[in-house]
Amino acid sequence: MTEPTLHEVKVPRIRQWEPWFFVGPSLLLLLAVGLYPTVFVAYFSFHNWTMGMGPPVFNGVDNYIETLTSSDFISSILRTFLFLIVTLPIELCLGLAIALALDQTRNAWLRRLVQILLVVPIATTPSVVGMLVQLMFNTQLGVVNYGLHVLGIAPVDWLGNAHAALGMVMMTQIWEWTPFVALVLSASLATVPQDIEEAITLETESFWARFRYIKLPFLRPGLVASIVFQTIFTIKTFDMIYSVEKGGPGDATQMIALHIERIAFRGFDVGLASAESVLTLIVTIALAQTVVSFLYKDEV
Amino acid sequence: MAQIAIDGVTKRYGATEVLKRLDLTVAEGEFMVLLGPSGCGKTTLLRMIAGLETPSTGRILIGGTDVTLTPPARRDVGMVFQSYALYPHMTVRENIALGLKLRGVTQAEIASRIERVAALVQIAPYLERKPKALSGGQRQRVALARVIAREPSVSLMDEPLSNIDAQLRTVMRAELLRIHRKTGMTTIYVTHDQEEAMGLGDRITVMNFGHVEQIGTPDEIYARPANAFVARFIGAPRMNLIRLAHRPGANAIEAAGIRAPVPATLGTLPPDLFLGFRGEEARPGAAHDGEATIEGVVDVVEHLGAQIEVHLRLDDGEEAVFRRPRGETIWHEGERAALAIPAAHLHLFNAETGAALRA
Repeated sequence: MTEPTLHEVKVPRIRQWEPWFFVGPSLLLLLAVGLYPTVFVAYFSFHNWTMGMGPPVFNGVDNYIETLTSSDFISSILRTFLFLIVTLPIELCLGLAIALALDQTRNAWLRRLVQILLVVPIATTPSVVGMLVQLMFNTQLGVVNYGLHVLGIAPVDWLGNAHAALGMVMMTQIWEWTPFVALVLSASLATVPQDIEEAITLETESFWARFRYIKLPFLRPGLVASIVFQTIFTIKTFDMIYSVEKGGPGDATQMIALHIERIAFRGFDVGLASAESVLTLIVTIALAQTVVSFLYKDEV
Repeated sequence: MAQIAIDGVTKRYGATEVLKRLDLTVAEGEFMVLLGPSGCGKTTLLRMIAGLETPSTGRILIGGTDVTLTPPARRDVGMVFQSYALYPHMTVRENIALGLKLRGVTQAEIASRIERVAALVQIAPYLERKPKALSGGQRQRVALARVIAREPSVSLMDEPLSNIDAQLRTVMRAELLRIHRKTGMTTIYVTHDQEEAMGLGDRITVMNFGHVEQIGTPDEIYARPANAFVARFIGAPRMNLIRLAHRPGANAIEAAGIRAPVPATLGTLPPDLFLGFRGEEARPGAAHDGEATIEGVVDVVEHLGAQIEVHLRLDDGEEAVFRRPRGETIWHEGERAALAIPAAHLHLFNAETGAALRA
């Protein structure tokens, strides 16, 4: 080796493989737990295979035809949409209200406390959520019926009545995910520069005008992210409902993910379940893409 | 247009007193500059006039009305922020229109005002652009246009020229004056740049540590500084202040290399003094009757283009700086030199209190 002189300075060159060395491990992991199962599911969706009943047999699009003509699948999909259409707007409104309230709070200590409390529902294990919900909505012992009793309303059979059960699951979903929306929107509101907020307070006292012209444009990316993520999370909701109701009573709370689970791991019809999964994935991507293309503008 | 009165305003943050019982009156249509080093409270005062901060004690009056607790939007003030604070998601036109729209100005009136203002500050070609597509100077003009279009009774400016380059700054300074003459808006302008303050202000309020050191026209402040702080802060190069001891009863003050007459009308002088004089008011040569003499060794001669700057080292180690015309060849580094200063241009300050001593 020679000492580099002034005339021959060796500029260290990035070798081609070097970035891959760093990205590699996480990429491999993603391929293993993400791409591999997806390809696996896509493959089986074109095969007739019941677990434990011989090898998969190619059957073309039969699984898809059966799925799309199954009233059970269609009603699960529609129920999931109802679930989404009721919970998402409420989550957005409540989340926005909490975010705006946090933004107005001058007490930094209080703001910090609320932000920490908001993480609790997100961080709680789904099975624990299920147990808590079962206890709170218990017909005889539950605090919810006690509250209704105090207000003079007759007790509701939350776990047994089909409509009540769906309502209960929706309320739990809202409780669990509103904080997520609140935190995302709170972060968006924090991006409004202080001088711009001051500039608008010189122009108007109206909270609505300040919201409409200044805060909303800065909230847009956060709102789009919330809607996209909540759409995806809601469509694939499984754990909370499974631990509370297992899709029951009857099929009252059977969302699409629970339906797929029932077919794959109780009926063991992997081919059919795979076709349903693929269709659900397509619907989810289409919905998310629609939201992004309609609402997302890079303007701030 | 309106008169502004600050009446005994104090501002405290916890134990820190940022403004100390401050009184100030700005006349209708006046261009008042608040000048001082950073942390002197000038921006806080401006923000209190805007209503973005509330005084701890005292009152603020705009046009004779007490607005101390009035929300900012009802004070009818416009503000140019140091960062311009343009709305990033709106075009220049929308930026200017928003404040008007929120105040119920009709669409037709908004359009005509935007046209007028755009011509005044020369931003007509950029009306449909967003702020991020503009240069610093253009953004500055838009911020100004936003205020002018509103026609507020008071316009407040917080170091609006500090974020643009030096060359454009001098252009914008002249433009600000031209616009002020045209609109006649009562203007309060905050800066830490004494040259900017001298150039712009009808009057200047020099502030330091939360109180007013002096209020006056640029000429008054330059020619008759009220105290040693103002004397040092105003003028480039700054005024020479040389510490001297005064022997009681003597009719002149003397120190190593300095001899200055003392007007009898000053009465009894304190023992500890600053003698102040501006380098540009001295001339080389021996002193005539009633003039002061400064003598020392030429330390450094700097060439500044139109002028040269001569640093004179006095015998006791103090330094005095003089500006002389270019081409004056009498200055040689290391040689002794003497300068004379007319009595009218001599300033005496009490070294203990800083106050100017005047006949």
